[in-house]
Amino acid sequence: MTGGADELAGVAAAVSGLVEQVFVTVAGVRGAVLRSVERDGFRAGRWVLPDGVQELLREPGQLAVGLGLVVAPRPEQGLRQRLEWWQVDPGNGELHTLEPDLRPTSLGYYDYTTTEWFDVPRRTGRRHAFGPHVDVHGTGRYVLTFTEPVAAGSGFVGVAGADVPVRRFETHLLRALGALPGPFLLLNEEDRVVLSTAPRFLVGSLLPPGTRLPEAGTGIPGAPWRLVPVRDEHRLVG
Amino acid sequence: MQLLSGDARRAVFAPLDDGALRSEAVVRRVGSAIALGLLSDGEQLPSESDLASMLRVSTVTLREALAELRKLGLVETRRGRGGGSFARSREDVLAELADARLAELGSTDLRELGDVHSAVAAAAARLAASRASRTEIARLRDIVDRLASAGSVTGQRRTDGRWYIELAACAQSVRLTMQEMDLHLELGQLPWPPAHAPGLLDVMVAGHRAVVDAIDDRDPARARALTEAHVETRTLWAIELRLQRLGLAAADVRREVS
Repeated sequence: MTGGADELAGVAAAVSGLVEQVFVTVAGVRGAVLRSVERDGFRAGRWVLPDGVQELLREPGQLAVGLGLVVAPRPEQGLRQRLEWWQVDPGNGELHTLEPDLRPTSLGYYDYTTTEWFDVPRRTGRRHAFGPHVDVHGTGRYVLTFTEPVAAGSGFVGVAGADVPVRRFETHLLRALGALPGPFLLLNEEDRVVLSTAPRFLVGSLLPPGTRLPEAGTGIPGAPWRLVPVRDEHRLVG
Repeated sequence: MQLLSGDARRAVFAPLDDGALRSEAVVRRVGSAIALGLLSDGEQLPSESDLASMLRVSTVTLREALAELRKLGLVETRRGRGGGSFARSREDVLAELADARLAELGSTDLRELGDVHSAVAAAAARLAASRASRTEIARLRDIVDRLASAGSVTGQRRTDGRWYIELAACAQSVRLTMQEMDLHLELGQLPWPPAHAPGLLDVMVAGHRAVVDAIDDRDPARARALTEAHVETRTLWAIELRLQRLGLAAADVRREVS
């Protein structure tokens, strides 16, 4: 295990770097929203997110495939649930707005106000990294969702956010690391595997209760995640 | 109009690969979308040419289907400015449509549908027992509570559908989630058993509750076995209902003859 701690610190820095990169995009969305609200206020029937923000999705090296503002509904002001969300079409790469089903009477109702990526920033006033999760009724993809609360004038108006497909996050990180260090797990705060280089721990699975890990792990600055080295038996070789 | 892009909606307007008469398949798809609330009362349908290309049917076939839907009262067409075709939610018509579908399917078709649903849902339940977070388990419980108190047939159908879709999402599987959506568009074309025997809703609620308990206990084998048994029971309900209907129809014929 010599050099293990250094190696892990290197991985943690790489993870943190990717997370910060996504939050730069989220901050871009948030800034655009704030400028727009300052200029034109916040009205029920009109998008706050200015046109052009979606171009962030075309920036070279962009991890996110979706971004936007998710509005906090205020029924007393006639402000209903609303998503101002752009996403890259996985088929042809074109940018489209997401138009989820927001009617509670539908099988496909996208009840985003109960999701953690919306609720945690609302409650804590702080940014949040949620997932991996199946974004059921929304984009329908397996993603990590990075969100930040947006407060303007009368208070919390919604969250600015970006979606990163789990596969893309993994590909970028492993490419950035080059030669793999010893097997490790990236775990979120509910002990769900975000990324794993040990085949027996599957992405998306929860760490089985009672699993003995060699150490508590290294926290990832800027995300509720930690990195833990694991021992793994090789099955294919040796 | 802007088409909703939720994944359930994608399933509604996905290409038909139904071997049956195409226009009837369109009628059934639209019917189950209304039954599941995916198309709401008064909602405008995409234009004829858009619908035809999404469903990959000819415009002739699509017009036949729309004419049939109009005759049934599930679609209303208005001419002129702001015109177009609009969905109409009619529980009585949907029930008739479901009965007709049940009559034309064989017991083997119902068994096949049940077998696939059992495989998908049981796999999802097994995985959910080791992958669902505390928050997700709480959400599953909430869905079961809402099913128990859902008033209308469409409300019950929809909430039951959400149970299976959420279960697949708890399994962390996009593919199982998509499979459940597709299956529910098919199941939504069949009669809703509690509409014929209200006590069955309690059986469903108890069945789902037992599965959440198993998931909560982190017992994959039990979650799977309970789900399999429950879906199989529901397949038997559908087959029984079909045979009962055949019996009634035969009795009607005998009465008319005598």
